Amino acid sequence: MTEAAPQFISWSWIAENFSDTIVPAIIGHVYLSAVSVAIAVLISLPAGILAAKRRGLYAPITAFTGLLFTIPSLALFTILVTVPGIGIGPNAVIIALVAYSLLVLIRNVVAGLDSVPAETIDAAKGMGLTSRQILFRVELPLALPVIVAGVRIATVTVIGIATIGAYVGGGGLGTLIFDGINRNFSTMVITGAVLATALAVAADLLLLGVERYLRPWARRKQEEAA
Amino acid sequence: MIEFREVSKVYPDSDAPAVRELSFTIPDGEICVLVGPSGCGKTTTMRMVNRLIEPSSGEILIDGEPNTAMSGTELRRSIGYAIQQIGLFPHRTIAENIATVPALLNWSRDRIRSRVDELLELVGLEPDRYRDRYPAELSGGQQQRVGVARAMAADPPIMLMDEPFGAVDPITRERLQDEFLNIQQNIRKTVVFVTHDIDEAIKLGDRIAILEQGGTLARYDTPENILSEPGSEFVASFIGGDRVLKRLSLTRVGEVELEPPNGEKDLPRIDERMTLRDALSELLGRGAGKGVVTGDGGVRGAISIDAIREMFRTGETPRD
Ligand SMILES: Nc1ncnc2c1ncn2[C@@H]1O[C@H](COP(=O)(O)OP(=O)(O)OP(=O)(O)O)[C@@H](O)[C@H]1O
Ligand SMILES: [Mg+2]
Repeated sequence: MTEAAPQFISWSWIAENFSDTIVPAIIGHVYLSAVSVAIAVLISLPAGILAAKRRGLYAPITAFTGLLFTIPSLALFTILVTVPGIGIGPNAVIIALVAYSLLVLIRNVVAGLDSVPAETIDAAKGMGLTSRQILFRVELPLALPVIVAGVRIATVTVIGIATIGAYVGGGGLGTLIFDGINRNFSTMVITGAVLATALAVAADLLLLGVERYLRPWARRKQEEAA
Repeated sequence: MIEFREVSKVYPDSDAPAVRELSFTIPDGEICVLVGPSGCGKTTTMRMVNRLIEPSSGEILIDGEPNTAMSGTELRRSIGYAIQQIGLFPHRTIAENIATVPALLNWSRDRIRSRVDELLELVGLEPDRYRDRYPAELSGGQQQRVGVARAMAADPPIMLMDEPFGAVDPITRERLQDEFLNIQQNIRKTVVFVTHDIDEAIKLGDRIAILEQGGTLARYDTPENILSEPGSEFVASFIGGDRVLKRLSLTRVGEVELEPPNGEKDLPRIDERMTLRDALSELLGRGAGKGVVTGDGGVRGAISIDAIREMFRTGETPRD
């Protein structure tokens, strides 16, 4: 490697290390983020449905996940590493990222379910749909765009915080940033930061597309208005 | 046949009943309109029929069987349900909305498709044009039509309708009412229809149940009988000071005995499909005492203000 290159960005370093260092870092980052958001969604869906149906649970659930959200990320990573069975590596990072995603995801699941018009549910019940059919055929489909909007926010947040995970050996684009700082090599820092941002923007646009796709009824109306 | 037997409903956290010891019977194939001031318990009464609300005491029999004999969901699939807010599924097309109950009942795809088209035709929406639209792409009046079509989809013998034409302008409402009466002539459902509009009640109801504040039944009778003899102060004030005119609107010119046309010229023309009320208004407006009644086959006879007055003076109902 060309240590301590004098220029701000060394294009030759990027070219030389593209397939060996940069691509694995991108893949690692996508892996960390995707797995974390996926696990968080799997937890948040039932938790959010429960909180929406049993209103008494909403306050304690959001209080707890809100508390998780306020823990400084560097501190949380470091604490998790000391927990036996977790240790250094991606698992500690994934657990922390899941914890950070819960608040926004659960809130959006509840907000999505709340946004379903009462008369739509009444009509469904009046026609003889069971509570389960109402949940899966009416409430969740109508709540889905709001839920996906929550997934968007969570994903963008997670992609950003995941860079810090490199500090505890989580891998990903943070590795480039931390290594660059240690070696006082700006090219690595900039490459890691730019790629993390690009990843966040790409994920955001992708999920925005998903959000639109999930509401064909509104999409067609917008097109007509346009 | 729907039979209410001393049905009461007290909501939790409420000391006064919303519906109090209601007993009345709705014969098969009739439209029973529940009418009364806001908060008198009309919606509560209607929703107890398909057990969206469970009565606190008393029972409701459908064709002699208590409506608790089957599960709530099973019961509701066998009863049509349409509400003022319509409650169409925004994420489902018009066809999918209408097909809701048939799909729950596992009808075949072909049967559902032809039923949807049949219903769209029935409520005056061109199937090819509307079937694949989403509810947001329809006007309020068109959505109300779809709501009614959806309620009729599985051809249920009983329909519950809570102000189904409430959310549209008066002209559209009138048209929807006329269309509904036309449809009902052929399908003869047993309909529980809620409204707070006494004119709608008189127009649509074979029988009218007038509820009083506190959910007691003030009167249950035909529009004709209620208008000719309100029987109580509350009913009289609820139906309004123009009850004689309202009675006139129950009868169409073609239904009464006409005088022979004696060739008088320059008389206003009265279509035999007009109500007596509109005919009277037309005669008064033209300053004429008499008009020539016309129908599809030409002149049918003549009708005079005196004759209309006579019908009501003797107290006999012009329809009898
Ligand atoms: N879910 C409920 N919980 C408690 N009280 C209720 C509930 N639903 C209705 N009520 C009360 O019961 C009474 C009857 O209500 P209902 O909705 O049956 O009246 P309504 O005749 O349909 O009125 P409107 O013409 O305004 O629709 C009202 O006093 C209302 O406040
Ligand atoms: Mg009501």
